[in-house]
Amino acid sequence: MKPQSTFEREPARRVFASELRETRYQFKDGDDEKSPTYVILPSGIRSNRIFIVGTLTEKQRQGDQNIFYRGRVVDPTGTFFIMAGSYQPEAMQQLARIEPPAFVAVVGKPNLYTTPEGNCLVSVRVESIAVVDRETRDLWVLDTARETLDRLDAFGTTDDSKKAQEEYGTQPDLYRKIVYDALSQVQL
Amino acid sequence: MNLSEVTERISRKLEAKGAQPDRQKIESRLRRLVEEFGVNVDEAERTVTGDLAREYNVTGIGSSSTELRPIHEIVPGEWVTIEGKIVALTPPVSPSIAQTGIIADSSGAIRFVTWARANAPAMEYGHWYRLESAVVDEYKGAPNLKIHSGTTISRVEEDTPLLPSITPIAELKPGVGSVRAKVVQDWDTSHDRMLQTGLLGDETGTIKFVIWKGDDKDKLDLDAVYNVFYATVDEYNGRLSLALNTAMYIADEGDIEVGRTETEIRGALVHIAPGSGLIKRCPVEGCNRTLSRQNYCPVHEIQPEFRYDLRLKAVLDDGIRAKNVLMQREVVEALTGITLEEAVSIAETNPLGMDEIFYRIRNTVLGRYYTCSGSEFGGRLLVNSCTPIVFEPAELAALLNRAGGEPA
Repeated sequence: MKPQSTFEREPARRVFASELRETRYQFKDGDDEKSPTYVILPSGIRSNRIFIVGTLTEKQRQGDQNIFYRGRVVDPTGTFFIMAGSYQPEAMQQLARIEPPAFVAVVGKPNLYTTPEGNCLVSVRVESIAVVDRETRDLWVLDTARETLDRLDAFGTTDDSKKAQEEYGTQPDLYRKIVYDALSQVQL
Repeated sequence: MNLSEVTERISRKLEAKGAQPDRQKIESRLRRLVEEFGVNVDEAERTVTGDLAREYNVTGIGSSSTELRPIHEIVPGEWVTIEGKIVALTPPVSPSIAQTGIIADSSGAIRFVTWARANAPAMEYGHWYRLESAVVDEYKGAPNLKIHSGTTISRVEEDTPLLPSITPIAELKPGVGSVRAKVVQDWDTSHDRMLQTGLLGDETGTIKFVIWKGDDKDKLDLDAVYNVFYATVDEYNGRLSLALNTAMYIADEGDIEVGRTETEIRGALVHIAPGSGLIKRCPVEGCNRTLSRQNYCPVHEIQPEFRYDLRLKAVLDDGIRAKNVLMQREVVEALTGITLEEAVSIAETNPLGMDEIFYRIRNTVLGRYYTCSGSEFGGRLLVNSCTPIVFEPAELAALLNRAGGEPA
């Protein structure tokens, strides 16, 4: 049993862009206003924080009074949409300073957003962002591949993955393929 | 030892008393204890004999309460007879308790409680006693001997010399323990009733110790080695600590190379906490607290003669668990390539001042992969070494195999 008094920080899950893009299911753990909001990733784990490393290909400043920045971060499987607004002043200033293209490491919270047309978009609200090098990107691909495979290996045995099965009808082999393709883009 | 042999012996004992035990039942009980619960055969034999004796209502066998047992062997749930020396007496915490303390023999020591209702004769410190039919139970995770109205206490007149057996710190369990250890840290007491608190260490590890006020106890000297006999080992939130009020401690010659229990974690630094980078510390001796931006120490107020230091408070995250890590100056210098002197001169000439160092350090390490090792303390890893993780092509190959390998 976990002692109530000790706060444990939520780990930052490793997830590829093409998996995050499929994420649709969000829930709140508890009724309290401050209860954390999680998404269930299709590979079968809850997450309210993720860690991604990829190439920042573009960034835009938006808004007049409430300035915020949007950006696109590309990994071997697809694109993450990131944003940082005035509620994350440090992250926003960091993002403002980075000139694309650049390898970046991003820690942030996944957010689901439904467009007026009914499309579901996933964006990442940045907590912190920093410029890194290619080696870090490669390490991240290995790390993300390993964790994704671990989740797929455990698929069907945990509550979260049963939920994922229900919500997405996840086919683990499809994600193994994605992992394989991501890895094969890392140069030896 | 063969279990059927044991079964036979138990059955004979019971049959001699006129009972008709089921051999199969006996054997399955023995097997359960031995195979499922890892109880040793002697102990299993004792337990099963005792249980059956009670079930068949026969006396005079099994219930070993008349058989003298070494203290380190007794476990909760047993009725026992022991002989031991009273090595500590502590003030009872409740009027329903007549006496509490520690009784020891050459094999070990155990805490005991004498209930007021037992009307037992008071035992004296330093004397040997034979306790028949005392009950062992568990209190806060530690075995505890209860002396009740059915317990017979008799004083043993001869005084056998008693040498406590020393336990390595890493092997301490809740209860009573004796260690030979060095005082490696002396902390500020966090409570009025506390005389001293800090860290004791031996070759196998370290443990927190506390001495409470009120028993005419002396403080321990920092960096000195002591033989600590019969300290109370408590457990709280899964961590052990040593209360020295029941203990006798004697300064010892020599030195101990204190072993650190090193933990190693790999992961990415996902958060650099405020208070990292260049900081100012209170110069008052023994204080060393971090000063606020206005050079204010929470204890010693304004300190214009501060000294600078470098540190990094961060979160190392492996995707499964996020761990707080704390790095001291040497580790930060090695990791970032900025020395304390350089940091001070940058901060003094830069418009952002000390913030500049925070940003530089953050931009150097945030989002990168490291292996950190050090000792864990209060949920935080005090990092002794931190090395960047390098890309291993072999790992890529292994993962490719895993992802593309034939379906299992």
